[in-house]
Amino acid sequence: MKNVGISCSRNSDYVIIGNSAAGVAAAESIRKIDKKSKIIILTAEKYSNYSKPLITYFLSGKLDLEKIYFKDSGFYEKNDIDLRLDTRVLSIDPSGRTLVTDKNEVIAYYKLLIAGGGKPVIPEIKVIDCNGNTEALKNTICETGGIFTLTTLDDAINLKKYIDGNKIKEASILGGGLIGLKAAEAFLELGIKLNIIEFSGRVLSASFDKTASEIITSRIEETGSSILTNSTIDEIYTDESGRLFKYRLKNGKQLSCNLLVVAVGVFPDVSIIEGCAGKVKADKGIVVDQFMKTTADNIYAAGDVIKSFDMLTGENRSIAIWPLAVRQGVIAGKNMAGIPVSYSGGFFMNSVEILGIPVISMGLSNADGNEIEEIETFKVYNLQKRIYRKIVIRNNKVIGAILAGAIERAGIYVGLISNKIDISDIKDNIAKEDFGIIQLPEGYRKHLVVGDGIEV
Amino acid sequence: MALKLRQSEFEIKRDEGKCIHCEVCVRQCSNDSHEFDEDAKIVSSDDANCVGCHRCEALCPTGAIKITAKEPEFKSNYNWSASHIKNIYKQADSGGVILTGMGSDKPHTIYWDHLLFNAAQVTNPSIDPLREPMEVKTFIGGKPDKVDIVKKDGNFKLKTKISPHLELSTPIMFSAMSYGSISLNACKSLASAAASFGTYYNTGEGGLHKDLYKYAENTIVQVASGRFGVDIDYLSRAAAIEIKIGQGAKPGIGGHLPGEKVTKDISSTRMIPEGTDAISPAPHHDIYSIEDLAQLIAALKEATDYTKPVGVKVSAVHNIAPIASGIVRAGADYIAIDGFRGGTGAAPQAIRDNVGIPIELALAAVDQRLREEGIRHRASIIVAGSVRSSSDVIKAIALGADAVYIGTAALIALGCHLCQKCYTGKCNWGIATQDPYLTKRLNPEIGSKRLAGLLRAWSLEIKEMLGGAGINAIESLRGNKEHIRGLDLNDRELKILGIKHAGEAW
Amino acid sequence: MKKIYIKEEYCIGCRLCEIYCQVKHSKSKKILKAFREEQDIISRVLVEEIGHNSFAIQCRHCVDAPCVDACISGAMTKNENTGVVNCDENKCVGCWSCIMVCPYGVIKRDISAKRAASKCDFCEDEKIPVCVKNCPNEALKFSDTDDSDSNAENYTDADNNPGADSDNYNEVDAE
Repeated sequence: MKNVGISCSRNSDYVIIGNSAAGVAAAESIRKIDKKSKIIILTAEKYSNYSKPLITYFLSGKLDLEKIYFKDSGFYEKNDIDLRLDTRVLSIDPSGRTLVTDKNEVIAYYKLLIAGGGKPVIPEIKVIDCNGNTEALKNTICETGGIFTLTTLDDAINLKKYIDGNKIKEASILGGGLIGLKAAEAFLELGIKLNIIEFSGRVLSASFDKTASEIITSRIEETGSSILTNSTIDEIYTDESGRLFKYRLKNGKQLSCNLLVVAVGVFPDVSIIEGCAGKVKADKGIVVDQFMKTTADNIYAAGDVIKSFDMLTGENRSIAIWPLAVRQGVIAGKNMAGIPVSYSGGFFMNSVEILGIPVISMGLSNADGNEIEEIETFKVYNLQKRIYRKIVIRNNKVIGAILAGAIERAGIYVGLISNKIDISDIKDNIAKEDFGIIQLPEGYRKHLVVGDGIEV
Repeated sequence: MALKLRQSEFEIKRDEGKCIHCEVCVRQCSNDSHEFDEDAKIVSSDDANCVGCHRCEALCPTGAIKITAKEPEFKSNYNWSASHIKNIYKQADSGGVILTGMGSDKPHTIYWDHLLFNAAQVTNPSIDPLREPMEVKTFIGGKPDKVDIVKKDGNFKLKTKISPHLELSTPIMFSAMSYGSISLNACKSLASAAASFGTYYNTGEGGLHKDLYKYAENTIVQVASGRFGVDIDYLSRAAAIEIKIGQGAKPGIGGHLPGEKVTKDISSTRMIPEGTDAISPAPHHDIYSIEDLAQLIAALKEATDYTKPVGVKVSAVHNIAPIASGIVRAGADYIAIDGFRGGTGAAPQAIRDNVGIPIELALAAVDQRLREEGIRHRASIIVAGSVRSSSDVIKAIALGADAVYIGTAALIALGCHLCQKCYTGKCNWGIATQDPYLTKRLNPEIGSKRLAGLLRAWSLEIKEMLGGAGINAIESLRGNKEHIRGLDLNDRELKILGIKHAGEAW
Repeated sequence: MKKIYIKEEYCIGCRLCEIYCQVKHSKSKKILKAFREEQDIISRVLVEEIGHNSFAIQCRHCVDAPCVDACISGAMTKNENTGVVNCDENKCVGCWSCIMVCPYGVIKRDISAKRAASKCDFCEDEKIPVCVKNCPNEALKFSDTDDSDSNAENYTDADNNPGADSDNYNEVDAE
């Protein structure tokens, strides 16, 4: 790897907006190549480092605040990274290569990375107070007691305080998708009974098929919690203290409730481009090329804030998951430091464990097999043991998988998807629990294990 | 008739205090002697099929298994030994020929163990092999009757044309073992070790597999009665060609590899159709007299442009001395004599244990006869048939051999435990089998190192013994019977061997 | 830089590598005690077998390890000096993201009270990883380019291999 050894006459050389997966990965990646230049990370958060996916573990009590970091306390010093907390970027001047922060600082950059992440989706819901006044939930969510989103550590801390302070035994979660179920996982650990309200016909409909959803649904319902599908909340009612006490579903049913977590989804927070003189293009996510560069020179973007290439659908869309954010950050960093590396894209994947049932899903996994002609599915299903494995194949290549209960060696399928391996000879065994590398075509198998100079 | 007694020869002793039920023994036994009970989650053993190969004992991580030989269960009978009784049961049952593997295990006199080597004391100083040159290199091939030298440009040059020779860095070569009787991995081990050590291995009658082409310079190819794999490329590649007339373990009869063992690979190496029986007839059907043999020798030399030694391998039989004389006069560059204790992959037990004579006596007789006829120099003598140690090698050379072939010793170096069940094709050490699951167990990289290690160790011991006797070159020992004395041998034996008894001096 | 080479053609499917890996990662480190008294010790090396083909595979300690990317807690890290990818089992929260992305499928779930991802750690306090050392057929080979004693291709139990190349007399006891 070349040491670029750039010395820049500007104040700082690399500026990164965002201190989570993509931002930190980019900083580390740059530092490996360029030992001398300055690196600044700006973050709106007041915490020096924490992992967003870990906040539900904090909520459930599994982790305390000291353990919620993903880079330890020495990381920034060891890598000579200047971390500026509680700092928001107000505007960026792409041609002048400067930005302005809410601390009234003007920071010059040689290369800039936007990695500010996403924001929670707040659906259109009316909040009606004790006097009959109506407001959009979007506008009042911060003031309304008992309603939370769950995307930052502060959210989790406040939520935990609320639960402890009010001795909450029951709660509702709006959204039966990933974030909703991760939150559900934490609540169920705390012994809180739930009503999970899901808009579509089944939970995790984006990545789970009917069988997989059913396994999770029945497990959740065993605890006494319930899942209301084809449902959404139309109205929320607050009491004199401005606290939530009841809501009304679309079908008219009303439920009392003192704690509601809105976990419908996240979307890229592209608000930053408004201060970019129109140079940085976004369309439901910042638009980047294969080198993670935006439409503005010297400005890059990575992580939940961008639209990235989905290698399975062939389109660009927001795939807001940790592993892709890290990989995009690493690649953006390399490109920023002068090593051109192309990002070949990714696809959706997720690992979650609900009440002892681990489930891994990846790619285009919710196809049931009958809908589209060139799709085949291979399944193994053991109702008693709650083991369900389904592999989705298109044109003899794996494009998706769901593994519930028996998740061992799931990554082999990620490898088959990414490398587009023709598995026509081994289709019959592909969903079985003992499916392994030894069944793969010999040429690919030897190549796979001959990575990094390892011989087979 | 209910005469099937459970007559297992071996007992599997499992120390329950040490067994961790890891199932390694279950996986490693090709005779299914160990079994894992899925319900009780324990390993148990059944003696019935145990052949005493020790594979399980060797691999057990806690040393929990001990294989012991069982005493035969019959009332003690010197005449009707257990093996005679059991053989009759087997034959009455099956009506078939009893097969066995490896060399004869019968308690006949081992002449090597009655020969003692000399050491130098006072009259002739010892030589320290660490300090002074000690040559164990030797050459196989015919020497000319006389040598003419001319002087040219002030230098002396050899005028006589010398016939082609093999150069051995040590007087030990690997005996003929065919691909088919042993696995390809075993062949690779032998070939690789021969090449790295500077000696030779022999393809046996199985032809030459293409994976072994790179060792061609160290390969002696056999032209046996079945002529398997013999074409002009086979002959041209080799370093030497050996016409196989007989084999010590089964003199006079041919060989038979059953069709089910003729896999695709063996079929292409032997150049016979897949799945057909590979039968080596008893005689070469074009050699019915000594003149025929001379003709074949001449044909092979002509076909290879007189660039390679052509030798003949025979079993040690009663009239080996005149037979050897005929072979030498027929133009052979060397004669390889295989004694009755030689090994095999499969032979009828009756023939293995009762036909042929000991190599020590055959060697002495042949060497003596050839010297008497004044033709000893025309061919080298190679002996085989249970050369078990470096001291056996030294004694063989002193009795007249130029070099030895080792077969059983080489296989033992590769892991063989002499269970004598080679003919079943279930060799747990990956040697005498073609089952791909079993042949993997013989890693040629390891095998080659072990064989080279054996050759190195024996060569060092030979050097020590030579030095101790005041000799600094193996060729000075050849036929030097003064360096051997007999012990506990009668006059007849001493006369045949041509040696004095211990205590007699010049 | 440490590497384990897999020689598929020499694996005999005995699974001694798995047994010794279990002993190495047990509490007692003694084979009898470990197998008798400890429950469910996880072997970090995995033998795959079909018919007569088999091989043992463990973490490849990849240069661009996908598990390090995917780890949400920072438990999975790559040591740039030794090359070892290490899972800090105290930091791991058992989200199984690493299992999701490992293309070799060599990370296992430790579902005991610990609840962490379990994988090969190159036996860091051993000279040679125990799977390599105890393979009876040299189907696994280890090289450590930082160790000047090691011979890259053949660093297995070198003490017991009397090759033809050594010049010293090896004296061996007669039986």
